[in-house]
Amino acid sequence: MFTKVWLIFITFIFILLNVFNIFVIYKNSDYKSSTIELNTKRAMLEKNIDSIDEKIGFILRQKAVAEEIYANNIILKDSIKNLFDLVPDQITLKRVIMEKNSLVIYGVTPTKDTYDFLLAAPLKSIFHTSNTIFYLTDEGWYNFVSTNKIIDPEGE
Amino acid sequence: MDKSMEKIDIVKLLIYLLVFIVVTLFMILFVIVPNVKEYRASKSVYKKAFVHKMRVENILADRNVELSNLNSENKRAITSFMHKFSSDNFIKYTGNFFNKVSLTQIDKKAHKKEFIEYKLKVSTSLKSPTNFYKFLEGLNRYENIIQADFPINMESNGSTISSTFMIKVYDINSTK
Repeated sequence: MFTKVWLIFITFIFILLNVFNIFVIYKNSDYKSSTIELNTKRAMLEKNIDSIDEKIGFILRQKAVAEEIYANNIILKDSIKNLFDLVPDQITLKRVIMEKNSLVIYGVTPTKDTYDFLLAAPLKSIFHTSNTIFYLTDEGWYNFVSTNKIIDPEGE
Repeated sequence: MDKSMEKIDIVKLLIYLLVFIVVTLFMILFVIVPNVKEYRASKSVYKKAFVHKMRVENILADRNVELSNLNSENKRAITSFMHKFSSDNFIKYTGNFFNKVSLTQIDKKAHKKEFIEYKLKVSTSLKSPTNFYKFLEGLNRYENIIQADFPINMESNGSTISSTFMIKVYDINSTK
């Protein structure tokens, strides 16, 4: 009887400890598999972040290009407007050729002085070089060809 | 009571006690303790992974908000880039400012890797230079991204001005 009681007691404790051990092992493997799951999810999220970052970058690049183009259009509009505002009523333009860094104007002026005071002076203040050739017309007016250049490539 | 005590063999008792202690100690020291240690380690790894994932989730949410904000802020630029350029639509639009319009494609090249730049020559006839400013102003609201460019040539033909200039149309390079 005494031996039996002891054996049962020892076996019971042994089983109890084993049950506890199995519980620990189970929880352990549970944590491990959960960790792996979390890591795969995280890797997926990181991939999503990468693709979103790429989209954000693309939008920002589109924005930059669009803003640059819009600004260039406004600058171009202003420069053409300024040019026509610059021309006094006495002078008639026949032809205008605008390049990035140069402006060639063909026109008619009643006198050389009118041209020099009213158009040549402002043109000289804008452009680095400004040359004008005059041709006398039958009516006594002057046809002129004004070639203006900006040396700095960053300019108009 | 005395009889029962007599029955218990003290040596046997000690042996059983020893066996019990040995079995228990063996189980605890060599089986349970290492497993508990491993359990604790994997629990802390799990917690770290959980925190890391939470952080990544927050970053993703922030980026999503940023993306949707950027999308709504730059809706016009984005849709303009997406819009395929149609020369018919453009000629129709320029008809508001110019009398005769003809378009000739001159060049097509890549622009900053992701974009394609089409260069077209526009030949028009207009009544006054004001129409040209208005056209340039309206160009920024057009359905495509278009830049008017040099060389700009304007020549007076009596009552009208004939003009040629370049436009650069920007599309997204879908083959990038």
